[in-house]
Amino acid sequence: MAVKVEIIREVHPSARIASDVKIGSFSVIGPDVTLGPGTVIGRNVTIAGNTTIGSGNFIDDGSVLGVVPQDLKYRGSPALLIIGHNNRIGRRVTMHIGTEPGGFVTRVGDNNVFREGSHMAHDCFVDDGAVIGRSVQLAGHILVQNGAVLEDMVGVHHFVTIGRYARISSMTPVRRDVPPYTVFGGGNEEAPSVRGVNEDGIKTAGLAEDETADLRRALGELFEDEAALQTKIEQLVNMGVEGEVAYLCEFCQQSLQGKFGRYREVYRGLIPPEAAAVLPPEKLSELERILKIK
Amino acid sequence: MKNPKDKTEMAKISKLSVVEKGARLADDVVVGPFCYVGRKVEIASGCVLENNVTIVGRTAIGEDTRIFPMSMIGMTEDGDEDGVCVIGKANAVREHVTILAGTTERPTELGTGNLIMVGCNISGSVRVGNHVILANCTNLGSRSVVEDYVRMSAFSYLCEDIIVGSYAFVAGLIIIDRNIPDYSMVQGVPPRVRGVNTHNLKACGFGEGDIRELKRVFRDLFNGGDHLNEKVLAELDAQENLNVYVRKVVDTIKQQRQAGLKGAW
Repeated sequence: MAVKVEIIREVHPSARIASDVKIGSFSVIGPDVTLGPGTVIGRNVTIAGNTTIGSGNFIDDGSVLGVVPQDLKYRGSPALLIIGHNNRIGRRVTMHIGTEPGGFVTRVGDNNVFREGSHMAHDCFVDDGAVIGRSVQLAGHILVQNGAVLEDMVGVHHFVTIGRYARISSMTPVRRDVPPYTVFGGGNEEAPSVRGVNEDGIKTAGLAEDETADLRRALGELFEDEAALQTKIEQLVNMGVEGEVAYLCEFCQQSLQGKFGRYREVYRGLIPPEAAAVLPPEKLSELERILKIK
Repeated sequence: MKNPKDKTEMAKISKLSVVEKGARLADDVVVGPFCYVGRKVEIASGCVLENNVTIVGRTAIGEDTRIFPMSMIGMTEDGDEDGVCVIGKANAVREHVTILAGTTERPTELGTGNLIMVGCNISGSVRVGNHVILANCTNLGSRSVVEDYVRMSAFSYLCEDIIVGSYAFVAGLIIIDRNIPDYSMVQGVPPRVRGVNTHNLKACGFGEGDIRELKRVFRDLFNGGDHLNEKVLAELDAQENLNVYVRKVVDTIKQQRQAGLKGAW
């Protein structure tokens, strides 16, 4: 005889939920939540706040999304959490909404994987195809670009940018920008730094063959001796660069100019361009009004 | 206190939550869905329990404390529900936090205005002071003490019976197996006293002169390393008219040595 399982959950009537969304037992969906078609939500999941979740996402048991940020500068406005399509969000993942001075929005792109216990704080941006390992803690205002891989228990300082297809070894404290296409690692004994070229990342990026060769050469030259990075960038740029190599040079140049090697420090108290791009116009004007009152 | 039974009925408790008979909840406590509140729990006014929160044992929670989803408070390591846990006013206990209960002789205690961030674990008989911030995934070992205004960064692991002095800053991803002096900034494995937590001291209204004096003394006493300069300590101790804050650092080190504490310098 089959056991009849009663599903108990609390879904607020004003939440906008597509007809084929599956929601497990003991899950709580708040009033301002939007869930796209094909999304599956596990048990004990909390989705609160002004959260928009796209289609085909899988959110596993015990995750808490869209709760108020832990930041002390948050003043209680209904900031946003926007999640794209086809993301896999593991067990016990936490994601917070944005803060007013940080840009008002936390955003996840498409096809990302968040493993167990990872945390994404206020005003973070994760682009597409990134893998966030177990218990990875992303502090506020971080930008993780396409295809970056963060191994387990990585802790990332706020305002860090992680470049495209970079790979960060497990248990690394990341305090500065991680250049694209590199393997970044190191412990407490020595400062974390670039440890090599992320061959897997270059393969996944699907670049043309000659571009790959150029990129490998540029990475080899730039990170042979990081103390001379500035001159190496200038040499490369003077020779004329394009495509991914140009992006790599620009990224490294920006990081060098940034405070403590973190380019995004310039956005302290400003609305970052990524937020301005995704915020709906009425939210943007609301945010500007809030910041003016201050 | 009024009749506890009346109070339970008046509080805003979700019909999908279980509040055991005997639990004493103030009038305006909000309990979200899928919470469990044990029969010896006491919750003061202004508290908010969001959804999926579990509170058991002989736990008392002070006013205006907010407890976020999936947190668990008051269980013990042996699994019984008779431990004691005292949480003060205006604390924020974030998602996935576990706070284990202590014994009757030495309960788990949290002071006022603490922020316990996502995924922290506070073991039994721990004492946390006031206005402390524990960043994500901090682990406090059993019987450890965290004094007022301490800032602990993500993944910091405090071993059992260790004391973190007031106004200290602890860097992320480190294991702390010895006591941390007041006002210090600690980083590395093994933990090294890198200097004075200037930022926090300024924010807490310490004078420029005091901070300068502390910086000078810390440079001589620890020299950014994991060893203490005994000669400097003896000299400082012999001095009269020593700066009050420096005197506190010196006295604490001496007292901890005399008491034979595990983590003493």
